[in-house]
Order: sequence, then structure tokens, then C-alpha cells
Amino acid sequence: MVMSQSRGSQNTYLLVPILLIALLLSTAVIRGPNLVSLSGFGSAIIVSAPLILATFSLMALAVAGRGTVDLAVGPLLAFINVTIVKLNGLGIVTGPFGVILVALGIGVLYQLFFALIIIFVRVQPIIVALSGFLALTGINLVILPRPGGTAPDWMSSWGLGNTIFSPILLIVLLAIAAWLLFTMTSFYANLRLMGYDERAAYTSGVRINVVRIGAHVIAGLFVGLGAICYTALIASGDPTQGTTMTLTAVTALVLGGVSLSGGRGGVAGGLLGALNLFLIGYVLATFNFGSTQAFVTQLFYGLILVLSLLLTLLVPVVGRYLYFISPFAAFVVLGCVVVGIMLHISTRDTYGVAVAGEALKADPDLLTRYLLLPVPQSGAGSALPDLTPLQKIVFGFAAILAVLTFTVRVMVAEAVSVRLGAFIYVFVSALILLLFLVVGEQSHATAIPAAGHSMEVAP
Amino acid sequence: MSQTVGEGGRGGALFIPRSRAMIWFNLAATFVVAAISFGLGFWQGISAQMVILYTVVLAAVLFWLINYVTIIFETRSQPLEDTAAASGADGVWAGNRVLITTMAVMLIVYLLITATVPSFRTLGNLIAFLLLEAILVFAFKVSNRFAHGRSAFIGLIVLLALVVISSFTINGFLSAANIKAILLFAAFLGIACVGQTLVALLGGLDLSIPFVIGSSNIGLLFLIGLGVPPWLALVFVLVIGAGLGFLNGVLSYRLQGQALILTLGMGFSIAGLVQILTSIGSSFGGNVFGTVPKWLQNLAAMNGRTFGLAIPPTILLWVVIAVIVIVGLRYSAFGRYIYALGGNRHSAKLIGVSEFKYWTIAYTISGFSAALTGCLLLGWSGGGFIGVGDQYLFTTLAAVVIGGTSLMGGYGGYGYTVIGVLVLQVLSAFLIGIGLKYEWQQFIFGLLILPMVALYGRAPHIRAQV
Repeated sequence: MVMSQSRGSQNTYLLVPILLIALLLSTAVIRGPNLVSLSGFGSAIIVSAPLILATFSLMALAVAGRGTVDLAVGPLLAFINVTIVKLNGLGIVTGPFGVILVALGIGVLYQLFFALIIIFVRVQPIIVALSGFLALTGINLVILPRPGGTAPDWMSSWGLGNTIFSPILLIVLLAIAAWLLFTMTSFYANLRLMGYDERAAYTSGVRINVVRIGAHVIAGLFVGLGAICYTALIASGDPTQGTTMTLTAVTALVLGGVSLSGGRGGVAGGLLGALNLFLIGYVLATFNFGSTQAFVTQLFYGLILVLSLLLTLLVPVVGRYLYFISPFAAFVVLGCVVVGIMLHISTRDTYGVAVAGEALKADPDLLTRYLLLPVPQSGAGSALPDLTPLQKIVFGFAAILAVLTFTVRVMVAEAVSVRLGAFIYVFVSALILLLFLVVGEQSHATAIPAAGHSMEVAP
Repeated sequence: MSQTVGEGGRGGALFIPRSRAMIWFNLAATFVVAAISFGLGFWQGISAQMVILYTVVLAAVLFWLINYVTIIFETRSQPLEDTAAASGADGVWAGNRVLITTMAVMLIVYLLITATVPSFRTLGNLIAFLLLEAILVFAFKVSNRFAHGRSAFIGLIVLLALVVISSFTINGFLSAANIKAILLFAAFLGIACVGQTLVALLGGLDLSIPFVIGSSNIGLLFLIGLGVPPWLALVFVLVIGAGLGFLNGVLSYRLQGQALILTLGMGFSIAGLVQILTSIGSSFGGNVFGTVPKWLQNLAAMNGRTFGLAIPPTILLWVVIAVIVIVGLRYSAFGRYIYALGGNRHSAKLIGVSEFKYWTIAYTISGFSAALTGCLLLGWSGGGFIGVGDQYLFTTLAAVVIGGTSLMGGYGGYGYTVIGVLVLQVLSAFLIGIGLKYEWQQFIFGLLILPMVALYGRAPHIRAQV
């Protein structure tokens, strides 16, 4: 344990985003239960996908060091968006293959150009980014003077957001998977080394120019994907949102704990940051402040930003005394709480109605409710084999004990480990997938019975 | 940084550059300008005595001024000994490969356009082309003679070229009204840039400037509307602005790498809070209405008067502020410590410079200058609008960068920023004058920053840093 203390977890920077997302998610679910439904999740994914991918793009560059904050990410995204729409309008590129090729191509070309300027002209990256920001903002308005145009036809169903498993989700998952695969290569190790200390990387024989170009190409791919999602979301071209997108993406980057000075960051941080930002907007939208709504939103948006930044100052202090708090531990504990709240909210209708309607019949106990078993209908046989209360308690305790033992074991292992293992990713994806499935099931299930029920109650 | 006052370098009030070539260069420049003014004077039909008198005075003042500037930026050490100066055509080619290639490319492009587009064949375009070539030669050859302030020189030359080109292509560009307008907008931007420059000298960034500008803009009008005496309201807004800057500084001190985001978040909060406060009890939902007092309008409006002169007082205010900041940065202990901290945090701390103190002071000044800009903009527009500062988000940064202040801290100064501000404003006036829309201006600004910074702001190769 002494050794583990000295090694510690490298991912403590994820603590703040995890804490924040747990708080926001529970608030969001309580305030706006619509989130926990097929269309709620679907639209959440579609709305936040461009932001997530833009944040990934910034993250790849931030890891490369030299204080690279690509301010031009928003205008570049808008540039690809208006180009797709314009080409579609002119009938030049309309097919899926062509559009994806154009989007990724522009993103990669721009970032390649960016990298070459940094390498050969040797100007500070932020100045190149500023230059690109102004130039692209201007040219976007030239291509498409005002929001308008239409996205390619095949994209029209993407942006509806009435289902979770849309192509957008696939794109985001692919991006995440690609980055995780990338982290297993030695190229990634070189990238982090270069971001952390460029001179050390150079002297130890890393070909820093190649590594930098690689980081930019990856960033370009992410931007291209983000632009495709953005086009699907708004189903038209919008040249004016560049600045906003840049500001939100940079904010998401920092909220996700990615270091702007290089060498630290990952897809988990970027994802959490972007989701946090989306949730902040969602939660604030559920409150009603009348005519000052926009201002209050702005105020809290800024305050949360400042506070979460200040919280990151506490992480080293907390980490010194509570070294066993790994992001994984926090995630598991908070994740269980949040998922519990979500299930509670989402199943409230089904079970709540059942209770109200059949008050005298078996009121569904906690076990039934949270294991998501079908409500025992009158007449139909219960899904659970008939157990005595004592048996239920015993089985329940055994299950809880097993889960707890497992969790604690993994927590300890995780706190000692240097990097987030593959296990956590598998676990988290499984958890999220399960949730989606359950919610999907619920939405399908409630659609018909709810209608039937209201008819029944009406007379 | 430029304590170039060597013995004999500055003989009393008469400044003589050490390098012979520079004296000849200055003399030639003076002569050319004097000749132009001489010709212009006769062309305008002013009496000969007046023309000669003005020309002589102009030449003298100009020569004195250029020599002074040269001395300030002149290399302190002896000129670098040329390493293995190869002779002959090979040597010329080897030493100036980039320059010759660039000039040749520009010549080819010019000839191509001239050959294909008949309407391009004008005197103005020829002059513009020659000027661009001259800038290149200057940037590559002459500016090497200066150890410091290469960016300032390039900026000045670009400014000069812009003025010459615009006055040829645009009717009435040099009219009093137009110059006044350019200077007025430059003054707004310049005052907003004071804080950004100081903060950049320390290696930080302040993105809350546009929000503070917008907030002070509507805040002042709101206070005046409440019946607070305008002068008191102005003082109040300025104090609040400085206080917000102070808060920015304190909060971002431990998060210097994240200052960009922290100030942005503060900016959002400030703008939101002020809008909530001003819309309480108002049915206009954030829009503030009121009458701006006459003296405030006079302060910043185009037809404002300073002691009877037809110059808006804002321009004079900017000049005063600029002089104070430049002199303060150069000669006061405060200024020197800021450079020391920006150059090397650690060694500055070791000689007892409080990093916290200067960091917060720089941000406080930034908040104050932003609030002042907001108040002045209220006088200019006559109505409150939260979005009045939005364009300053990246323009202040662009002005600082074009001027040549390093965003990493430790190098630059407000004088450079003034040049950057003027370049931006004259360029934008030129682009508006030739009928380009806002988006093309933005595009050209973006393309301009990179080559200008590339001319002076290049980092050494990583080989040289190990």
C-alpha cells in the first residue's frame, strides 16, 4: 500500500468531471424526467455529438502540447458544414461516401496545414489558431451568407432523435473506440511524451514532427466526424455558430480535466466534459426564470465553469489523503446512485400507475421494481418464482454482498493501477447499454398500456 | 529592454544612430517624404513661402523622430560578424534564398494578373505591388539590424504602406473626417487593449474583456436611468470593473494555465448577472433605455470637441493613456517587474518580486480599461447594448499579437499594441473603402496575422532549445 501511495492514480483529474456529471445527471433526471426515455436519450446524443467530437479534436491537440488550443475548431466545423450543404445544393456531392470523404478530407487537410505551419514556420500554435479562426469565420459567411440550405437527403432521418441507436451514436462510439485502440500503440506513448516534455522526447529519439502531424490528422478526423453530426443535427448549413462552438468546446475540454499545457487527457475526460456542458444547458432549461431566462442561464453557466475549475485545485489535496479514491471508485459509487435515480424516475409511471390502479393487489416490492421485472398482472403468474420474504431477503443480501466484494476489489486494484484499465470501459459501456435497452423497452411498453390505461380510467 | 543609451549613442537631444547605413536610410526616407509634401503643397496652391517653411520643419522633425526611433531599437552589441560571408552570385543567392524566391513569386503573380485582367492595370496597383516588394526587402534585410522591436518596425512599415495604398485607391481617405473616424475606433480598441497587453506580458490571457465592456455599457446607462448623478455612476462602474478584474486575477492566479477559460467563465457570469440586475423591475427584458448625458456623448461622439478643438476627447484620452502605459512599463519599477515576471517567473520570485501582486494588478487594470471602454462606447452609441463588446473578444488578441507582444509573456509592450491597433483599424477602413464586406475583412485579418508574426515571432528550432 505504501508503494501504491507513491504511484497513485494518474487519472485523479477525472474526479471533478465525474462528480459534476453525477450531480448534473441526477438533477437533470429529477427536474426533467423526459430525459430518461427513448427520445430523450436519442436527442441528447444527437445534440451533444458535435460538441463531443469537437472536444475530442481539441483533446488530441491539447495532448500534443505547446499550449495548442485550436480556437478554429468551431469555424472549421461550420466550414465543413456549409461546404457539405453547398455541395449538396449544387448537386456535386450528395452520396454518403462522398460527403464523409469531403468532411474528413477538409478536416485532415486543414489540420495538416496547421501542423506544417507549426513545424516549419515555428509560430506559436495559438497564433496559427487565431489566424485560422478569423479566416474561417470570414470565409464561412462568404460561402453561405446566412443559415440555410439543406443537408443531404439520406441524412434527414439521423437528426430526428427519436431513437437511441442512431448512426450518430455509431459515429461517436466509433470515435471513442478508435481513440482507445490508438492509446494502445506506441505512437500514443510518444505523443504523450512529446506533449509533456517536447525536449525530452526529441532527445530520446522520438520523431516529434511525425508525431505532431499524426496528432493533427487525428484531430482533423474528429472535426470531420463532428461536422457530419452537426449537419445531421441542424439539417442545414449555419455559418454563424463557429464562435459559440469554439467557446463551448474549449470549455468542455477544461471541464473534462484535460490539461491545456499538454501530456494529459483522454477520451474519457473529453466525453465527460462535453456531456457535462450539455447537461448544464439541459438542467438550466428546466427552470423557468421568465424574461431573464437567458441571463440566468448565462450566469450559472459561467459560475459552474469557474467553480469546477477551482475544484480541480482541490484534487491534489484530496488525492494526498484519500489516495484510494480512484475515478473508477467514484464512478461506480456515483454511477449506481444516478442509475438508481434514473430507473426510479423512468419506472415511476409503470409501477406507480400499477400501484394506484391495483392498490389492493400485490404492491410491487423494491426487488421487483429495480430488477425491472414485469409488473405482476392480475391473473398472470409472477415472473419471480414464489419466494418467501425470508428467502428474498437472503438472496438479496447475497447478491449485494457479492457485488460489494467485487466492487471493492476492483476499486483497490484500480487505485493502484497506473491507467484506466480496459475493464472500466467495458463495464461502463455495458452499464450504459443496459440502461438504454431498459429505457427503450420502457418507452415501447408504456406507449400502449398508458393509452389503454387512460381509457380505462376515464369512465 | 532597450537601454540602448550608449555613450555617444544619444548626444543630448540630437539622436545619432551608431550605424552609418541607418543614418543614410533615415536621411533618404526624410528626403522622400519631404519631396512628396513639397510637391503636394505646390499642387494644392499654397504660397511658396509657406510650402518651404512647412517642408523644412517637417523634414527636421521627421529626421529627428526617425533617428530617435532607430536609436531605441538599434542593436546594443556590435553588429553580428557575418559567418563566412560568401562572395559573388552564389553568396547572394545562398544568403537570400527565401527573399528572392518570395519576391519572384510575387512578381509572377502580379504579371499574371496584370496580363489577364485589364482593369487591374492601374497606377495604384503598381504602387501597391512595389510597396509590398519593398516591405519584403525591409522585413528581410533592414529589420535584421534591430535587436528589438523588429515587429514594431514591420508594423510601422505595413501601416505606412496601407495609408499610401488607401489614399491612392480611396477617395477622401485622408480627409479629416475619415482620419478622425479611424482614430476614434482605434482609441476604443486601444483602450480595451491596455489590459490585454499587460496580462499578455505576464503570460496570461483575459477573455472577459468583451463581457465587461458590454456589462459596463448597459450598467452605466441603467445607473443613470435610476437617477444616480452621471459622474458618480461612471466612477461606480469603473470601480466595479476594476473589482471584477481583481477577482479575475485572484481566481486565476493558481490556475494560470487555465486563465483563458476562467476569465471566460467570469465573463459569462458578469454579463448574466448585470443583465439580471438591470432587468429587475423592467418590462423590457434586458434592454436598457435612458438618456446619455451631453458631456458623455461629447466625450466619445464623432463630433465631440476637446477645449474647442474638433477632436473627440476619447482620442486624446487614448494618447494620454498610451503615454502613461508606455512610459510606465519602460521606466517604472512596476513595469520592469512585469517584464521580469513574464520573462522568468522563477528568477523574478527569487529577487523578491511578488508574483501574486503583479498578476492581480495586471488583471485589475484589464478590468478597469474594459469598463472604461464600455462607458466610452455608451457615449459613442447613445444607447446601451450588451453585445457592444462582442467584436473585442478576439480583436484585442489580434491587435496584441500583430503588434508583436508575445503571448507567452516577457516580450513586447503597449507601444507595439498601439501599432497593432492602428494597423487593424487602417486595414479595416481600407477594406471597407474598397467595398469589401465584413466577412472578407475577417478573412483578410486572419490571413494577415500569420505572415506578420512569422516575420518576427519565430521560435528557435528544437535543436537549439535542448
